Amino acid sequence: MAKKFRSKKAVEHGTNAAIYIILTIISVVWLFPFVYLVLQSLRGESGIVGYFLPHEWTFDNYIKLFTDNSRFHFLKWYGTTLAISVAVTVIQTTIVLITSYALSRLRFKMRKPLMNLMLVLGMFPGFMSMTAVYFILKLIGLTQDMGLVGLILVYVASSCMGYYICKGFFDTIPKSLDEAARIDGANRQTVFFKIILPLAKPIIIYTILTAFMAPWGEFMFASLIMNGNEQYFNVAVGLKEMLTRENIDKYFTQFCAASVVISIPITVLFFCLQRYYVQGVTGGSVKG
Amino acid sequence: MAGLSLKHIYKVYPNGTKAVNDFNMEIADKEFIVFVGPSGCGKSTTLRMIAGLEDISAGELMIGENVVNDMEPKDRDIAMVFQNYALYPHMTVFENIAFGLRLRKLPKDEINKRVTEAAEILGITEYLGKKPKEMSGGQRQRVSLGRAIVREPKVMLLDEPLSNLDAKLRTQMRSEIAKLHAKLQTTFIYVTHDQIEAMTMGTRIVVMKSGFVQQIDTPKNLYNYPGNKFVAGFIGTPQMNFFEGTLLKKGEEVEIKFEYSDAKITVPYSMMYKARPSYLDGQSKVYIGLRAEAVSVNPEVVKASKFKIKVRVSHKEELGNQTLIYGDINMDGDGYTESSTRIIISADATAECKSGDVIDAALDISKVHLFDKETEQSILPRIPEYNYIDCEVKEGKLIFLGAELKLPPAIKTPDGKYELLIPTDAITTGGKDAAITVKDCENINGKYVVSFELGERTMFAVADEEVKHGKAKIDVDLKKISLIKDGETVVEAMPEKIRLEGKLVKEKVVEQVETDGKFKKKKVIKFFLQIEDCKLPCPDSAATKLITAMGVKKAFTEKLIYECSPYDLTVAEEGISASVESVLDYGKEKFAVCKIGETTACVYGEAYGEVKLLPAVDKLSVIQAANDIRII
Repeated sequence: MAKKFRSKKAVEHGTNAAIYIILTIISVVWLFPFVYLVLQSLRGESGIVGYFLPHEWTFDNYIKLFTDNSRFHFLKWYGTTLAISVAVTVIQTTIVLITSYALSRLRFKMRKPLMNLMLVLGMFPGFMSMTAVYFILKLIGLTQDMGLVGLILVYVASSCMGYYICKGFFDTIPKSLDEAARIDGANRQTVFFKIILPLAKPIIIYTILTAFMAPWGEFMFASLIMNGNEQYFNVAVGLKEMLTRENIDKYFTQFCAASVVISIPITVLFFCLQRYYVQGVTGGSVKG
Repeated sequence: MAGLSLKHIYKVYPNGTKAVNDFNMEIADKEFIVFVGPSGCGKSTTLRMIAGLEDISAGELMIGENVVNDMEPKDRDIAMVFQNYALYPHMTVFENIAFGLRLRKLPKDEINKRVTEAAEILGITEYLGKKPKEMSGGQRQRVSLGRAIVREPKVMLLDEPLSNLDAKLRTQMRSEIAKLHAKLQTTFIYVTHDQIEAMTMGTRIVVMKSGFVQQIDTPKNLYNYPGNKFVAGFIGTPQMNFFEGTLLKKGEEVEIKFEYSDAKITVPYSMMYKARPSYLDGQSKVYIGLRAEAVSVNPEVVKASKFKIKVRVSHKEELGNQTLIYGDINMDGDGYTESSTRIIISADATAECKSGDVIDAALDISKVHLFDKETEQSILPRIPEYNYIDCEVKEGKLIFLGAELKLPPAIKTPDGKYELLIPTDAITTGGKDAAITVKDCENINGKYVVSFELGERTMFAVADEEVKHGKAKIDVDLKKISLIKDGETVVEAMPEKIRLEGKLVKEKVVEQVETDGKFKKKKVIKFFLQIEDCKLPCPDSAATKLITAMGVKKAFTEKLIYECSPYDLTVAEEGISASVESVLDYGKEKFAVCKIGETTACVYGEAYGEVKLLPAVDKLSVIQAANDIRII
């Protein structure tokens, strides 16, 4: 007697349905805080309220954020953060690419021990050395008014430790390309700039994104190094000020609006570069 | 356009692995040289050393007139085609081909002209605007070739360029590369593991195995005169048949007996003149090599042949134009697995036989190859090293094959019969010791192998110049001969090389140095070659070579072996302490047998008692003792 089989299509539909339901639930859980934040930022009533949808809809919170400088200097914080992030992105991307290329292509004594050392050092959380870093920066005058420079220095100081994924990507580019170019008359720099970098676009995008994101939302070092100097706060430290006991009732909705505004550059960057980002991560991880 | 010279080239990796051992070769301008061998034999490493992509551990590489060991790849004026094409994926075909020219800052018009010409030669004009990913494997390889030829290099290097192509395309590209070589008239060095590519393209082929050069010769000579079993087996399809066997001399005939089988044939002794007599004792094991086409099952050939063996057919492969018959000369053998009795016969397509048949096969004995079972070297080399002749010593005279030579005082042995070993390079023509007939003079790879007729025997000599047929006088360098009695060497040839152990040392020496017209005392580092108690000034160039090859630390701590000829050591007031034990008088020349430490060395000249020996530093070879690498 012929054995009864379940239709392959029916099984597929059932599985897909289950997967979509799970994914939808996860998406709702993930998206809920953001939706909540957007709704609160559009609320006309001040203070923290016990309901979800605003009774009064308004854009005032966004407008005040940029125009009302009586208490907080959001626009300045935003500019400061952007300046730090751009500077860190440029310096860090350069350092990471150069380090990764050197570790991928050059063979020198102590190469492997150096790679292992960087890996081990990277495992320690950055804030462990926070106090020491602060005193060193203070000693050389890179806190308070010069805190911006100090902060950039702190963020880029350990950049080369993030070489792993990038090196993995470089490893996937055949060495015969370097060799062919060297025979064609190129020196190491020409090989790097004319052959390797054009082929490494995905990993460059990935490096730029990660380098930009880290200082954009960083709080601990920024608050320590700026040490209460409100003029040079970055957005994370500044926004924290909005949530103090005396300010929270008045500025909570502005805080929500600010949170939405600071997520815009990263969201835009992500949407534009998403394709390369995914390529970069997977391309580098295959043989890394 | 340039030739290449590779002298004692070694590649040793930091973990001690020797990838290339003592590679020596002279490549003439416009030659098409093919490096062939199995994976891991060092052929690609050698090519990459020529390209400058790998450092040379020891030795000297010259391209044209320049030593290029430390030259960057871009300055060597070479171009290379890679196995995986190595095209720049983000550039168009045009940009790929023009890349090298742009880096050399050639004018735009010139770049356009050269790229267009190369594209026309290679038939890729319509693809110039495309990216490599839009092209097929064959087209990509053409672009790779184009990128190499536009540079108009002195030497073209090709590293397995056809390995990634399918069989049909490979055949087509093979012809195109050969055509390109003819058209460009430049030196090509081509690496492949495919012996068909090597045979069809190369003017000369270098066969390599485990980092050692096995043989360098033309395709035809490699096929007909393989120097060892590996070359014999590697070159030719189907592979040469190898049987184990023994050779037994019976008067003027030699019986070849096949092991593990009843097969035996008898061949004339004249075939074995080049073989050492000890192989013909019926005991020494040899490999008997016969190509498939040197065995025939054609009834007419079999009927006419005197050299026949029985073969039990196991199966056959019909290839259309011919049939390969697989069988066994052992009637119990299966003929399927490779063994010492399995035989492959190349027969006509019409040959009729079936599995299990026992048939007669005729052997073409003029195409038999014999190899030593232990060393696997041919026992019938094309350029023989020695002549093995029966001789007699009587009243101070050496008598062999009707010739008579007066023995010098250095050779003292009782009268009697001996086996005489004369190296082929010890015989020179133009002397007055004997008058014999020159039977033949064959040019083999630039050397002339001269055959002399001595009674019923043939004696060989190696000469640098051609010797005319007819009567000639020969001279024998008696210090190179050996006499053997009952398997024991009673008179040994004088060693041609002296090997002394030593070290490289450095010392700070105070010297007067002239700066701005004033003399100042300055400490400078000087290098010395230390041999026993003697320190010889070492030229900076030699010290640099040693330090580069061995590393700074090892160069001064490891043991070195200094090698020179007896003519390169002279008795002097300063030098290595030695005591003279005796003097060898070879008539025209005298040599002092000296004891230097534990080593005994023969030094040119006459001396007695305690002496000092001074080597000619520029003629010393230096060998790293630990891994036997000849650095200088």
